Amino acid sequence: MFLHPILAAGLTLHAPRLIDVDAGMTFTGWLTNSILVSIFISGFVIWLCRSATSRMLIVPSPLQNAFELVVEELYDMLESVVGRHMIARTFSLLATFFIFILAANWFGLLPGVGSIGWGEPGEKLGAFHSLPHVATPLLRPTTADLNMTLAMALVFMCFWLYWTLTEVGLKNFLVHLFGVKGGATGVMAVFLFFIFLFVGAMEVISILIRPVSLSLRLYGNVYAGENLLSSMITLGNDLHLPRWLSYIASVTLPVPFYFLELLVGILQAFVFTLLCAVYLQLSTTHDEDEEH
Amino acid sequence: MNPYLIAEAAAAAGVTGSFTLGMAGAGAGIGIGLIGAKAAEAVGRNPGAFGKVLTLSMIAMALAESIAIYALIRAFQGF
Repeated sequence: MFLHPILAAGLTLHAPRLIDVDAGMTFTGWLTNSILVSIFISGFVIWLCRSATSRMLIVPSPLQNAFELVVEELYDMLESVVGRHMIARTFSLLATFFIFILAANWFGLLPGVGSIGWGEPGEKLGAFHSLPHVATPLLRPTTADLNMTLAMALVFMCFWLYWTLTEVGLKNFLVHLFGVKGGATGVMAVFLFFIFLFVGAMEVISILIRPVSLSLRLYGNVYAGENLLSSMITLGNDLHLPRWLSYIASVTLPVPFYFLELLVGILQAFVFTLLCAVYLQLSTTHDEDEEH
Repeated sequence: MNPYLIAEAAAAAGVTGSFTLGMAGAGAGIGIGLIGAKAAEAVGRNPGAFGKVLTLSMIAMALAESIAIYALIRAFQGF
């Protein structure tokens, strides 16, 4: 349904130029290359989940077993962080963050992502031009787009606020932020009140910084990894080595960096999810007073 | 505040790389090295805790490295 305008936009003589690297290429205004990839990833993950759970058996099939492993491990780990009273509500969002970010990070390692696209033509080879540098790729890993990571971080902050307020209540929330801790009375309490007010203001600023750091960490890791891989693959070309040597270099040189990107992909997904769980834990643990 | 101030000062002194990334990278390197040292010491004291120590140190290294990643984005933007 969308294919004809996409193909028509792609085959025009004036290829859409990148304004800055974060903007992405816009086909029909909103359909950038990273949103296209996120549609692919969502479809793939949903299809995989549906095919694993369509016939659930007591002795599971390998795919169902793999999914049960992922879900159970995530559930146990997140329950130990968030707490039993919060895990029922928050598990779907946190597990979706992990699975989606993992799929999005690893999608960027597939051949063709980031290397097929439009750019400035190079030297002429017969009837075609060579394309030494792809300026506007057709497919781009979706977490290498700051829009996506910022959206995920902001969605999480909205849910964090909602869950915190419904769990502890507005009064307890404000007392947790601005209240005097340590049990002082009398003159000292008045003096400490203003100090803790200032401390609460610092706390609010650090809470507002959280979506910035969450989004930039994920974006920076994936974007830098993508840049690193494309630099390593085109290193032979850029150093103007003889053609056979640059062919060999562009195949063998990126191999250790592919392993690094595999590790970084799963690590960043894990860190994003764990940090979100820790932020939830920090503001919703009301058990600490009752245990003493 | 001119964001290119440090870059201009560094370029005037003859430095062509990214000064911001250099300092952030130094801090991140020291932080990750400290985490690794403490992790090795913890496993040496209690070899059975290798899995837990590995998980915790991976998380801490990812968080410490992210500061350098912020500076890396600035380096790609030219300063």
